[in-house]
Amino acid sequence: MNYKDYINWEKMPTTWCPGCAIGTIFKQTTFALAEMALAAEDMTVVSGIGCSGRAAGYFNADSVHVTHGRAIPVAEGIKRANPKLKVIVFSGDGDLVGIGGNHLLHAARRDVDLAVICVNNGIYGMTGGQMAPTTPTGEKTLTSPHGTAYAPLNIQGIVTSNRRHWFARASTFHIVHLQKVIREAVEHPGFAFVEVMGFCIENSGRRLGFKSGHEMLTKLKSDYKLKAGPDGLLGDHELGVVKNDGQSG
Amino acid sequence: MKSLIMGNEAVACGALKAGMTFFAAYPITPASEIMHELAGREPEIAFVHAEDEIASIHMAIGASLAGRKAMTSTSGPGMSLKQEGIGLAHMMEVPLVVVNVQRVGPSTGMPTLPAQGDILQAAHGSHGDYVPIVLYPSSVEECYRYTIEAFNAAEESRSPVILLLDGYIAHLQETVDLDAVAIDPPIPRTLAPLGQGRRHFTGLLARDGVPRTKDTAYYREWYARVKAKMLEAAAHYRFFDYQKNPASDTLIIAYGITHRVVRPLRGSYSLFKPVRMFPVLEDEIRAAAAEHDKIVVVEMNDGQYRGEVQKVLRREVLGVNPLGGTISLKEIRERLREL
Repeated sequence: MNYKDYINWEKMPTTWCPGCAIGTIFKQTTFALAEMALAAEDMTVVSGIGCSGRAAGYFNADSVHVTHGRAIPVAEGIKRANPKLKVIVFSGDGDLVGIGGNHLLHAARRDVDLAVICVNNGIYGMTGGQMAPTTPTGEKTLTSPHGTAYAPLNIQGIVTSNRRHWFARASTFHIVHLQKVIREAVEHPGFAFVEVMGFCIENSGRRLGFKSGHEMLTKLKSDYKLKAGPDGLLGDHELGVVKNDGQSG
Repeated sequence: MKSLIMGNEAVACGALKAGMTFFAAYPITPASEIMHELAGREPEIAFVHAEDEIASIHMAIGASLAGRKAMTSTSGPGMSLKQEGIGLAHMMEVPLVVVNVQRVGPSTGMPTLPAQGDILQAAHGSHGDYVPIVLYPSSVEECYRYTIEAFNAAEESRSPVILLLDGYIAHLQETVDLDAVAIDPPIPRTLAPLGQGRRHFTGLLARDGVPRTKDTAYYREWYARVKAKMLEAAAHYRFFDYQKNPASDTLIIAYGITHRVVRPLRGSYSLFKPVRMFPVLEDEIRAAAAEHDKIVVVEMNDGQYRGEVQKVLRREVLGVNPLGGTISLKEIRERLREL
């Protein structure tokens, strides 16, 4: 299989801006699917609302684009109804951990067999650039004009608070690693969450002073490092996988 | 075999008879017995006690898309939360049954006391224009029968059909032989399950899976098609009961528990009981009203269905409105005499 087989070319070009993180994550996902040679009939992609929410429709498979924050429960319904389907959730941070946060808590607790790919750009991009639960402390946005007073939500902490868990952090600069963890997440028999760090250029990046998508990638390159060892949680600027099969540790 | 059975249990039995194999809900008074009845039936059905009301309706939507007949049940506070899912299911054209066992609102209100205050919510609760099918049984046997019809209507219309109950009907216990109830055969699935390869279901306005979010002309075309589809399907579910009393110049329209309460008055008044609440049974109500001078809607709310009837008849319609809580025939009879 070729990655191109996983893209619905009739819907190209995407709505995403040049320099946006989502395109990279979408493409690495299609690479991972091609590597697994997953048949379109054996998979479904579910998205919520936001720029990332448009991703579901770009996959060359049956896909569902639902209401804001509800990608995980719809996906859980699908998985329970047909356990043979590989069900992939592709959505943003505002959708999955903001308005959909309660579903994340409980689907992770129930260890539902889903692969959740979360585009974390730390902002509500589609609506113009408002503060997200993941916005770094002090960052100015439309709804935090004096700088966000709060600490960003610790997604890793939420997912790994369950005894059995699978969590990965990746970035749109480290694309080989990104593809690898997406594949692992899809193959993991249980709830797998991939937090992908990336930027929104038009409604956040430019306000933060970035002049191009390339500058933002450079920032990811300098900020994030692959974690060397396999043990323990990831530091704030570490990429890697944290997992526990529920038997050990 | 006859057995003593509760309205909520009959809903669960009807759903199983209709071929429901997915149920998700969140506990809430006075609807929880539906959940209790269906819990523990795996693997015959998939059962999820979800984290909240919003999750449960969205799980049901996902399960329906993936090939199973699905249902969720709740009461007023939960129904308010489920509205976004109801809108989504209308937009994506997903068959589904949503049960609302009404209690006194707004908000937490009087949780254990019944009401009929969610009638207009059933028709217009989600944002935007849509044409829902809403059924309202008024006995335990009808709970069973119309749950099956709700599933059939959902398949035929490819939409979320609402089954309204009130706390009284839900907790009413009657001796019924469910196996002896005459029912229409369950309609098989009308939607090919996920896994066909390349379909896109979206809450956006879309044509063949491609979003058309700035195309007003197409929106109008789409709405006309969906409305026609709903009305055509609804035409097969014209359920009502009309008992004419030739000696009376007054027609009482009542549904659910209120119909049960006023039934002893059939010696003095004509009675019309709509089961299909929406789309409103315009022809049937007009025909019955034409034979009477006075039309009175008796309901446990402040005149919600009376407004609908008035819209259809374009003449004055009177109301007896005990509101939610307790209800007595004596009080209703006195108020009818005052009219």
